[in-house]
Order: sequence, then structure tokens, then C-alpha cells
Amino acid sequence: MSLPLYGFLDGDTIGLLIVADENESIASLARKLQEAGDIRVKPKSEIQLVYQGKVIDPALTVSGAGFSALERFDVRQK
Amino acid sequence: MLKRDEWLHLARKLDWDYSYVSEKDVFPEEISGRPWLPHSEWRDWEEAFKTSYREYVQNQHDKDAAVYAVRDAVGRLEDVQKLSTPWLSALKVHGAALPLLEFTGLIGNLRGARFGRDSAWRTMATFGALDEYRHTQIPLLLFHELVRWDPQFDWTHKLYHTNNWFAIALRHFIDELTVGQNAIEFHIATNVVLETGFTNLQFVGLASLARDAADHSFEKMVTSIQTDEARHAQIGHPVLATVMKHDPEYGQYLVDKWFWRNWHLFSILTGFSMDYLASGQEHQNSFKEFMEEWIIDQFLRTLAEFGLKKPWYWEIFMEELEIYHHMIYATAYTYRSTLWFDFLIPSPAHRKWLRLKYPKYWDDLEAVWQRIEDHWRAVGPGAQNESAVHASALLAFCDLCQLPLSAGTPRNNTANTLAIDGRKYIFCSEPCRWIFSREPERYANHRELTKRVLAGEAPATLPSLVSEYFRLTPDTWGKDIQAGKYSWL
Repeated sequence: MSLPLYGFLDGDTIGLLIVADENESIASLARKLQEAGDIRVKPKSEIQLVYQGKVIDPALTVSGAGFSALERFDVRQK
Repeated sequence: MLKRDEWLHLARKLDWDYSYVSEKDVFPEEISGRPWLPHSEWRDWEEAFKTSYREYVQNQHDKDAAVYAVRDAVGRLEDVQKLSTPWLSALKVHGAALPLLEFTGLIGNLRGARFGRDSAWRTMATFGALDEYRHTQIPLLLFHELVRWDPQFDWTHKLYHTNNWFAIALRHFIDELTVGQNAIEFHIATNVVLETGFTNLQFVGLASLARDAADHSFEKMVTSIQTDEARHAQIGHPVLATVMKHDPEYGQYLVDKWFWRNWHLFSILTGFSMDYLASGQEHQNSFKEFMEEWIIDQFLRTLAEFGLKKPWYWEIFMEELEIYHHMIYATAYTYRSTLWFDFLIPSPAHRKWLRLKYPKYWDDLEAVWQRIEDHWRAVGPGAQNESAVHASALLAFCDLCQLPLSAGTPRNNTANTLAIDGRKYIFCSEPCRWIFSREPERYANHRELTKRVLAGEAPATLPSLVSEYFRLTPDTWGKDIQAGKYSWL
């Protein structure tokens, strides 16, 4: 099932609509946002996905991490 | 024959007590505005600069003659064709956004002309409506010759009739400011906030840049329009004075709300032109400096005059002055095909100037421009590579101002979510969220662009959005002015 989310990539100038699959991993979701923002922000390999103030384990799935639709997530890059 | 001063007062101040209907029937609160007060509280309404219809017609005739004379001398098609391409983009922004915005100002003034609470107010609003008619007609006339030459100028007539994201934002703003507004709020929002402050940016600040760009026709047009603004903007002050006497909290709310709403819109309308599209930036004031000179000083004086406090979000606004329009411009460059005018990447010299004027966050913005340049280097210049240096993800928009979620900084975007009555909303900033929360019944049912996509009302891919929903075509959608062919790349 698809889940529309608002993604904010560290260093970017805009928030993006990212449609997640509830079974995809957090790592995959983070990469999706990096790809979406690539035109403005160079992707880095060391990243963290933050949701509701917490760093989320990249191995979890979107549903497993408790995401709900139309919420904000952030990807920080080091 | 009576002299002017002997009859003008009688002509201006002609109210009466109603016998067959009540005063509230004639001036219902829903249309006249609140606080609803009997006429006795409005009878001292006075405008500083009085005029008669005869004087009005003569003055406006003379102004029009001056504008047309300059247009005939230096504003013909062949003159415009010599102007720089970035400046032409600034004209396309203006040509699309302003004429019909002014026309809705006519509608708002006509509301004041009927539902204003004193006859002098109603008389001045009638003149105000005539002014706005002029402000609609002049740019339409001056730009008319251009529509056959450049399809983007032709498209400017279409903007408000499309679902382009910027049109959605403009209509949301205008529907509330003018078209669907009561007389009291219209005059405070438009005259006191917009016309005493922000239109100075678009009409005075931009006039000086037009002079630098050797566009004397546009310069003359906007300075002439501004002389009318200065006259009819005076309507709002006595309205606000009366509101502040009876409901100061509401007066403060209206000023705070409308300053923020105007700020976001004008930072794009004027910020783009001043800091990116006008030529010779290295020798001129920045958008921030224009804001400081024309808006902030004037606005703070107005606040003091009426016993108003600075808006609670003042520090947020001062931060946004450093960065907001830069965030939007950089974003818009990467989504340029969603708009009707062309963009350019600021040169190294231009970016040095921008860093000088906006030092606080420029490092983060510089990184974005360098990344965009990396993409052009990777594919090489040329119109055939435009799409390779263009975003494809759907951008997200604020549920209040309808503008992209580009507030805050690249390291700290201030977008925030809110759930009300089982629905989720997102706002670019705290002030947008605050305005929404104050009047949710007004805003809750409006769908910004992202929600329209999710509801299936708008296409879900960017190319389809551009062509089917925004109604842009290959000859009208925005491109890189140089097609990536920059000497420093």
C-alpha cells in the first residue's frame, strides 16, 4: 500500500512529496528522497532518517516504523 | 457659483438616518465587516487628501497622457525587443500577476463604495475602484503588442485561468483579500498593509531597476500607478483607527495576518525580479535593502501610529528576509518548466554580490547552485539537455499560502503538520499555521496542489501537471535563458 509523505532532505530548498510503499525499508525511503533532491543536493552515503524527532533504524519497514500518511520525515546527511 | 471648498464637504459627507429599513439592513456585518458599529462611530471618517470628481478626471487624464507619451516614444515592440532577456522575464512575472490582481482590487473597492460605513469612505472607494481599473488597463495596453511576438507574454493573460501552482497561490490570496472580503478587512488589508507598504516594492523599487534596465516605458507606468496608490491607500488608515478604538485585538490580528500573507507573495513577485532578473545587480540595492527602506521602516511607523505591537512573528520574518526568496528561486529554477518565464543561474560575480548582501545562509545556497552547475557540466549545454537539469519529483505546498514548502533554511526547513477534524495539513511556517488555526473554517476545505494530486484531481506526474493542469506548452514553459551555456561552466 502506498503512503504519501513529505520528505525534507538536509541541504535542500524544498519539501517534496514522496510516495512510500509501506513494505519498503527505511533505507530505501531515504534513498528515494535523496534521488528526488539530487538536482539540488549531492547525495552522501552516511545518512540518517528522522521521523517524529527520532532516528529510525534503516532496516525497519515504513509500516514497521509506524509512519502515517502526510507526515514529515527528514534525511540528514553527514 | 460656490467655490470648491464651499461645496466639497457637503458632497463628500452625505449620510442620513434610515426610516424604512434598519442601518444593519443597509450595512450587514457580513459584507461591511466587523466590529459592527452605528454610523455615529464612523461619522468622523476623514481622508487626508480630498478630491472632487472633476479634479480626479483631470489629474488622471494628465497622468495617462504622460504614460502614453513615454510608451509611444520608447515603449514600442522594437524597444522592448532590445531589453535583456532576464529583464523580459521580470516583465512576464509582472504582466501575468498584476493586471488581474488590480482588477480584483476594483471589486474590493466597489465593495467599499457600497458597504463602507461613511459616505466619504464610500466616495474615496469609488475613486479607488477607478484607479484599479486604470491599473488593470495600463499594463494590458503596454504589453499588448508583445503577445504576438513572444508566446510567454501571450500566456501571461492565461495565468489566472489555469491551475498553475502560482495561480493557485495568487487566487487563494486574492479571493481572501479582495473578491470575497468584507469592506473593513479589505481596506485594512489592502490599503494599510499592501498599498502603504508592499506595492512600494513592486512599483517604486522595480521602477528604479527598470530605469537601470533602460525600460523607461515600464518605469513610467509603475511610477504613475504608484501615485494613485498613495492617494487611495489613505482610505485604510481612518478605518483602522476606528477598529483599533473598538476592537484593538482584532485590528492587531488583521494587520499581522495580512503582513505575513503579503510578505510571502511579494517576496516572490518582487524578490525574483530584484535579486535575480534585473540587470546590473552588482551596482544596486538588494531586495532586502528595498524591504528595509520601503516596508519595514514605514510599517513600524504605522504600527506606532495606531498603537499596534510588532507582529509576534517579527523575528521569523527578519530571518526569512535573509533567505526565503532565495530558497524559492533556487527551487523554481529546478522546476522552471512549471512557470511561464525563463530563469538564469546567477553568475559567480552575481553570487558574490548575493553573498555580500545575504551572508548569513549563503553557503547553503551556494552549495545548491554548484550542484545544479554540476548537472549542466555532466550533460553539456543545449536546449536538448534542459530536462536532464530539471527536477522530476513532485514538490509540496503549504496549506495556507499555497506556496512551496521552502521556508526556514536548507538545514532547517520550518514546515510543520497539523491534524484538525480528521484531516492533515502542512504549513511552511509557524505564521501560516497560526493564520490557518485562527480561521480554519475559511481555509480548511481548500486543496493545495499536492492534495489535488492525491485526490486524483490533478495529474500525478510533473510532465502531465505542466501540460494538462498548468496549461503550459513547449513554447511557453520556462527554460534556462542560456540553455546551460554559461561561460564559467
